[in-house]
Amino acid sequence: MAEAGHGTSNNIGDKIIEHVANSDVMIHFELFGIDLSITKHVIMIWIAAGLLMSVALYATRKYRKEERPIPSGFTNAFEYVVDFVRTGILIPTVGKKHVLKWGPLVMSFFFLILTMNFLGLIPLFNYINHGHGGTTATGNINVTASLALVTFFMIIVAGIIEHGFFKHWKNLVPGGLPKAVYIILIPIEILSMFVRPFALTMRLAANMTAGHIAMLAIFAPIFLLHNAYVGVASVALNVGITFLEIIVSIVQAYVFTLLSSVFIGQAIHADH
Amino acid sequence: MENLLSFDTGLMIWTWLTFAIVLVVLGTKAWKPMIKALENRENFIRESLDEAEAARLEADKVAGEYEEMVAKARQEAQQIVASGKETAERMKADILNEAQEKSKALLKQAESQIATEKDKALSDIRSQIVDISMIAAEKIISRSITPDDNERLIDDALKEYGKN
Repeated sequence: MAEAGHGTSNNIGDKIIEHVANSDVMIHFELFGIDLSITKHVIMIWIAAGLLMSVALYATRKYRKEERPIPSGFTNAFEYVVDFVRTGILIPTVGKKHVLKWGPLVMSFFFLILTMNFLGLIPLFNYINHGHGGTTATGNINVTASLALVTFFMIIVAGIIEHGFFKHWKNLVPGGLPKAVYIILIPIEILSMFVRPFALTMRLAANMTAGHIAMLAIFAPIFLLHNAYVGVASVALNVGITFLEIIVSIVQAYVFTLLSSVFIGQAIHADH
Repeated sequence: MENLLSFDTGLMIWTWLTFAIVLVVLGTKAWKPMIKALENRENFIRESLDEAEAARLEADKVAGEYEEMVAKARQEAQQIVASGKETAERMKADILNEAQEKSKALLKQAESQIATEKDKALSDIRSQIVDISMIAAEKIISRSITPDDNERLIDDALKEYGKN
């Protein structure tokens, strides 16, 4: 935010974009000709993953030792969220029988996306790389596309595990329809196969980015007008938007996870 | 200006790598143990509830049987008491009857004995009277008694006797 203060009305838009985009390579790194440079979003993913793993491993320490542990305190709160994903997302979509098989993937989606969404809301992380670049890794389409591609392949894997290689592809279209219908249906189903991960990608990235752009745009008049009253109004409005963003962070993590789980469930239960 | 939609292979590879690590580490160490624990607990609660329900039904059954048994025992006890009372009543009546009969018999016996004794006493008295009369007659006759007197005396004596 401090950087924006030096901006003029001409480049305030650039400043906003710079603030959400994955700018500036922090450590240049290349392997087999592929640019694997560490950017701010890579750092943010690592922080999110590290934090999530520490918290989750700490919260589940009892569960690795006992067969029927009694949770308390933080473990209880964590278990509540895990059980929410289990009973609210997994059981209705993939079915009770497959929870143990697909639970780890779906839960990793939910908790990692949620952590990345939340970390993006904490202004403290702006200080990494001297305020350059966005902090919300899930606001970057490369990150969401990667996760959506995992879903894309896992849908296929789930179908093949359940029905075998050929049956899975046959299951994409419902059987017993007139031949002419298939001429339309097959391209539509193939298209929808690719549209699903694309929609997942755009929905999450756009939602996470939009909130930040809105907040920055509301802050911008402070630096453009240098007016204390505008400052009060901007801050008040952004406090409200921050609360909204907390909800959006949870909802988008939930939506991405739920849809992934629904698609995997559809591949598993394709025959009914 | 950075394009929001720019393609970044490196970031994608890092995302996959990080996600894979999270998936493997948390999948084996956190999510699976937790899902298993939740399922175990669910099953345990369901089984416990089922067991409690079964135990309740069993207890109800046992209580019913017990009540039935108590009722039966009470009925039996009442029957025993009733039959005991009846027996006692009958025995009482028997004893009374017997006693009455016995007393009647005794009375009868006493009466007949008395009658016999009376008859005997009377006949004794009669013979004694006859004797006394004879003696008296002898004495009177020995002094100066006319045959008329004698006859009259005998008649009188007989009349007297007849009255008794």
